[in-house]
Amino acid sequence: MPAGRSGPAAQSARRPPLLLPLLLLCVLGAPRAGSGAHMAVISPQDPTLLIGSSLQATCSVHGDPPGATAEGLYWTLNGRRLAPELSRVLNTSTLALALANLNGSRQQSGDNLVCHARDGSILAGSCLYVGLPPEKPFNISCWSKNMKDLTCRWTPGAHGETFLHTNYSLKYKLRWYGQDNTCEEYHTVGPHSCHIPKDLALFTPYEIWVEATNRLGSARSDVLTLDILDVVTTDPPPDVHVSRVGGLEDQLSVRWVSPPALKDFLFQAKYQIRYRVEDSVDWKVVDDVSNQTSCRLAGLKPGTVYFVQVRCNPFGIYGSKKAGIWSEWSHPTAASTPRSERPGPGGGACEPRGGEPSSGPVRRELKQFLGWLKKHAYCSNLSFRLYDQWRAWMQKTHKTRNQDEGILPSGRRGTTRGPAR
Amino acid sequence: MSRREGSLEDPQADSSISPLPHLEAKIRQTHSLARLLTKYAEQLLQEYVQHQGDPFGRPGFSPPRLPVAGLSAPAPGHAGLPAPERLRLDAAALTALPPLLDVVRRRQAELNPRAPRLLLRLEEAARQARALGAAVEAVLAALGADETRGPRPEPAVVATNAAAAAPDAGVFPAKVLGLRVCGLYREWVSRTEGDLGQLVPGGPA
Repeated sequence: MPAGRSGPAAQSARRPPLLLPLLLLCVLGAPRAGSGAHMAVISPQDPTLLIGSSLQATCSVHGDPPGATAEGLYWTLNGRRLAPELSRVLNTSTLALALANLNGSRQQSGDNLVCHARDGSILAGSCLYVGLPPEKPFNISCWSKNMKDLTCRWTPGAHGETFLHTNYSLKYKLRWYGQDNTCEEYHTVGPHSCHIPKDLALFTPYEIWVEATNRLGSARSDVLTLDILDVVTTDPPPDVHVSRVGGLEDQLSVRWVSPPALKDFLFQAKYQIRYRVEDSVDWKVVDDVSNQTSCRLAGLKPGTVYFVQVRCNPFGIYGSKKAGIWSEWSHPTAASTPRSERPGPGGGACEPRGGEPSSGPVRRELKQFLGWLKKHAYCSNLSFRLYDQWRAWMQKTHKTRNQDEGILPSGRRGTTRGPAR
Repeated sequence: MSRREGSLEDPQADSSISPLPHLEAKIRQTHSLARLLTKYAEQLLQEYVQHQGDPFGRPGFSPPRLPVAGLSAPAPGHAGLPAPERLRLDAAALTALPPLLDVVRRRQAELNPRAPRLLLRLEEAARQARALGAAVEAVLAALGADETRGPRPEPAVVATNAAAAAPDAGVFPAKVLGLRVCGLYREWVSRTEGDLGQLVPGGPA
């Protein structure tokens, strides 16, 4: 409860009394039939105040005397009766109130300060708006979907809560010329966001800022300067397919299609793949899948279901040097590696498919060796496919040898030869 | 059911061509609509008081129940009137309500801009009141009782209502006005449901 003492004049935005519309008189002022009720006016009407400030208010009763007296009147604030020591009778028809160290308003429509007659009936009301001016919005970030639009998000001022309705307005203009424009589609990706759907220029910088305004003041963010081409994102790659690579137990092949909206521009696009085992929440990410639309995951566990997703970064659109913005991940696609009793290694990396240019040093060297063999050893049938067939054969042979030597998967003991690991 | 109470018998009907099934269906349909809107009106009132803050919505909160210009609550003697007269009063009230609800919605858009559900309910209430009013008038026409109309709000009164909710009018009176209008909406929709219920065959007399 605020302390009660007379203080300096309230820091309020006073509204001059206006001619009361007929309806207001009907709603709050007209005497009730048979009751001899009076009307009253609270001053100030609907003041706006800073948190921690004080308020001096009066309730002046009008009506036929006798009975038009301030004795017996009392105040409530948000339905709660205020302590009598906060009030004092100024004259026969006026009751004063002194509130100090006001708290922030409980609702954005204003705190309800009401003057009551002795019998509890409501004589008049005034709504208090107690809060803080807005702080400077910051952390503006923007992105363009396929160069067609611009969506921006920001963080409200440092403390956020002003206890007053605060209006945020995203403004933008072309840097070198043009007038200020105001974004109109708000709350598209959260409470502090706005979407500009059209009429955006490329190859020229925009200045973007946010203005915050409430009853107690306004604040403006720093200006963000950007070119639409530097903040482009796109849709996730469609048609992601994951399949086995022959009988290879530790590999899966992933294929996808370039996002169609930008497919004619994605000369330097980057892709990223992530995958996880079915029952795990930990994703493994494969970076540096640059400008390819296929990849082979290796080093996987045999007989295991994997979920795979792909995303695209439209890097380098129209020569932009900026990093670009990753798309959302594609919908998960699942596939399983062929079953084997020998657990495979846990790690994985993206490897090129057979016949494709090598991206790893081992395979690159192997390719060079095979090329040399073909030329000098007249081994015309050598190819990566043959190499993969050899690997599959090696794994099978390895399994058979391990069984012969009694080396079995963990949790099971060999019964015939040698101790289990 | 006597004719005075609102019988469905049409004295001018040829017994071989009975409009009664259609009339009955229309009454049932309108009664169902009124019942549904009574529930919505209650929800609107709850939503409204929640956003105005205490003491709105508290038990015992009673700002002066004074008439809103252009529309009053159902009179105490309403239930004793003949059915067609009751329905005429219902239709007149339902016609008067949409502009009042619009006024309240506009003011609430300033006072509670972050209350989209409240604003949507107020907008829908205006539409629903129009729809129910039209349906009641259709029932009256089918009963052959639509010649005389009840009082309608005059434009000047509606303009006064709008002025009362204008930004320069006090916020507290605007909140009270809105509460009054939402309360009247609930009362009249509920009243309409009751009046139609008495006409539904097999319903309470």
